[in-house]
Amino acid sequence: MIKQLMTGTLGSLPILAALFLTPCHAQQAPRPVPSGPWYEDDAVFIRIVQRTPEQLNAFYQGREFNQAAIDQILGTCFVTPIIHNKRFDVLWLELDNWQFSRGAQQIPRIERDYWPGKWEQSGLSQAHRSTFGWTLMPEVRDLRLDESVGGSVVIPLQSHPFTLTMNFHSGADKQGPLKTIVFKDLECIIDKP
Amino acid sequence: MHNRQALTRAVVSACLLLVSLASMAVDTLPKGLLVLDGREAPPLVLNDLDGERWDISEARGRWLFVHFWASWCGPCRKEMPTIQAIFPKFDASQLEIVLVNTAESEDVVFTFLAEVAPDLTPLVDADGSVTEQWQPRGLPSTFFVDPEGRLQYLALGGRPWDTTEYLRFLQRLVR
Repeated sequence: MIKQLMTGTLGSLPILAALFLTPCHAQQAPRPVPSGPWYEDDAVFIRIVQRTPEQLNAFYQGREFNQAAIDQILGTCFVTPIIHNKRFDVLWLELDNWQFSRGAQQIPRIERDYWPGKWEQSGLSQAHRSTFGWTLMPEVRDLRLDESVGGSVVIPLQSHPFTLTMNFHSGADKQGPLKTIVFKDLECIIDKP
Repeated sequence: MHNRQALTRAVVSACLLLVSLASMAVDTLPKGLLVLDGREAPPLVLNDLDGERWDISEARGRWLFVHFWASWCGPCRKEMPTIQAIFPKFDASQLEIVLVNTAESEDVVFTFLAEVAPDLTPLVDADGSVTEQWQPRGLPSTFFVDPEGRLQYLALGGRPWDTTEYLRFLQRLVR
């Protein structure tokens, strides 16, 4: 659902369209050149998976979600980063330390507690609620050395590009260097006619 | 003469160091495994795809490889063939491989496993509640439960279980 250009703090990189299933836990393996926005240095690798509403629709239909629930999902914008901690003994994923913004305007995240009410309205089963929960990025994770994590972070649909600033504390006691990665000019993808 | 003795001592010391390092390597955990605190494993009572009930409290006396997964998860799909590959290498009375599918229908589970891991019969956590109780760090996740029913290790994400490093670890468990 997000589209367009990523810029890390250390530079910009080209983009290709992305399409694959979202891991909750990315596998360690030789890494092909990523499609979509990405950033890498000696400490972290981050990429952002982009899916169109059509792809999201197909994914959740394939998991037998009802259409009312899928429509709730399609009414939002999914940003799906995959993060690999390459160097720190602990790298802290804390979504409260991430900011979505456009210029000076902050874009609030849609948090986990938004969804239960929507699932009540749409009559989504407990199994499907559980599946959906596992596709979301954890709120907090002490990412260990060589550990990866992936999942969706949700914001309201945006009609203009936005910036995602990710701040990570490091070290078991969070006293290590603060790592900041900025992805600029992200967009919510819409299906092309 | 003194030089020769010193050289011999140095060579012997180097050899001892190498042996010691090799031994440490065997005792070192493979990449991506965390040591847990040995707390008691949460309850796990589920039916498998054949409708057979499985209860962790009746599985004492052997190591358990408790693996949480779902077919929609990319790393799970990649990892599953490596679990299939190790399945015949271990006697279930020493190391039992317990797959827990998280919140998918039996049709989906059956169709997926028939293709990639036909020898494995998973437990079905139909509503995902057992998975929630175990609190894996994500899917896939693998817990190692010791013969006394305590959580000893956690594998972070998908691991290539059929490679030497991980096989050696598994063999050490049941030794």
